[in-house]
Amino acid sequence: MDEPDDDAVLDRLAGATPGPGAAELTVAQLEALLFVAERPLTRREIAALAGVDFETVDARLGDLEVALRGRGVRLLAAGDRVELATAPEAGSLIARYVGAEGVKLSPAALETLAIVAYRQPVTRGVIERIRGVDSDYVVRSLLHRRLIAELGRADTPGRPILFGTSFEFLERFGLTTLDDLPALDAETAARLVDGASAPAGPDDA
Amino acid sequence: MDRLPVPVMAPRETPAISFTFDRRPETATQVRLEAFEGPLALLLALIEQRQLDVLTVRLGDLAAAYLEALALLPGDRLPHLSTFVGVASQLILIKSRALLPRSSALAEAAAEEGPDPEEELRRRLVLYRVYRDAGLALRARLESGVALFHREPAAAYAAGVAGARPADEAPLDPALLAAALVRTAQLAPPPAPPPELVARTITLAECAEAIRAALRGAPLVVLQELVAGIRDRVLVVVTFLAMLELVKRRELVVEQDAPWGPIRCRATTTAERIAAGVATDVPIDETLADFA
Repeated sequence: MDEPDDDAVLDRLAGATPGPGAAELTVAQLEALLFVAERPLTRREIAALAGVDFETVDARLGDLEVALRGRGVRLLAAGDRVELATAPEAGSLIARYVGAEGVKLSPAALETLAIVAYRQPVTRGVIERIRGVDSDYVVRSLLHRRLIAELGRADTPGRPILFGTSFEFLERFGLTTLDDLPALDAETAARLVDGASAPAGPDDA
Repeated sequence: MDRLPVPVMAPRETPAISFTFDRRPETATQVRLEAFEGPLALLLALIEQRQLDVLTVRLGDLAAAYLEALALLPGDRLPHLSTFVGVASQLILIKSRALLPRSSALAEAAAEEGPDPEEELRRRLVLYRVYRDAGLALRARLESGVALFHREPAAAYAAGVAGARPADEAPLDPALLAAALVRTAQLAPPPAPPPELVARTITLAECAEAIRAALRGAPLVVLQELVAGIRDRVLVVVTFLAMLELVKRRELVVEQDAPWGPIRCRATTTAERIAAGVATDVPIDETLADFA
């Protein structure tokens, strides 16, 4: 499902002045708004709708995230977007209800997805440098499955496309945020930090 | 020599390696390459099959096994062959440096060339293994059924995303289709009638009036000039007959000096018409009975 452009939504919202009592945002109001919304909302949209500043939105989102722990729905956050989704422990039950089938991913796709998830935003050049093999097909396959998305372009020669994980990725793998990703091995994670801070090579393009 | 392969590791969707009966795993390996997309995956599998530590193994010792596996590379892997060969060249370089005695000067020169190729390849292997294992962890999470679901805009869309199929319905009754066709035929407007053909009517009186009008503006009218540009032969003929009728009624005097020459028409004067004793107020006979 294509999500509407943020600017178009905000243009529409700009014409509507907040109604009586709208210049506040309670946890219950925020929960109700996200429940009704059929797509992820940005903090900017929520602030414009409620007539409050971003700090208030962030504070209420934090309160809501805490309040929903242990409940059947959870707050899902990726970048600036948030939405309500079912709890991971209810995944099997909901999958049976909607008739969803599990995603089958090849080892190559899982490797690539792991690289994107842990190192995002990342270029295809970095993916191929780590995997040691051309990854054009597998990247396109993950894009087609909407597990990764284009985030923009890097400020390096050739301006290569930057990839990151999508909401679909979080949902499919039962993650409410990227912080919930399984931890990498501590010893090798240190190596990754060193590698990540290294300047981008020519193969980044 | 019996070379029946004995699979020693074949978990689902995991790259598998088979050893031959008659050779020790440390010296030779027959590798199934279907699941190895890249050279690092292959090299790492060779290391792990020997239960060696990637951080301490002498990579040069694996050159022979890697080359043997490379020789078994299927033809459909040719697009990736260069990446496999690139790692093979690194392994051969590493092994050659380990075998050949090196002077301290050569070692210093090699150090200035850049990082040690063995350590560089080892670093790549470790980095690759991290993400390979992370991918396996993701797969385990995927298979544990912890997916999240959000509200969809429409139930039909949700069912489509989930891969659900609508319930089978009974086939449509042909009588319903026939009735619908009949209703459609009844609702359709009747076809428009074909356009009616209206015959053009040209009368002697109209043409005679045209000649009179011409003569009122000029003392002399040439018939050929009057009908010049008219492509309708009937109109030309009727105009000519009207001229003859006007001559008969003594309204005109016509002169023609030579056959096919210009026919000059001149209106008669009132004195000429009185002298001729012809009444001019009688309507023109359109039946042309007088000509018959």
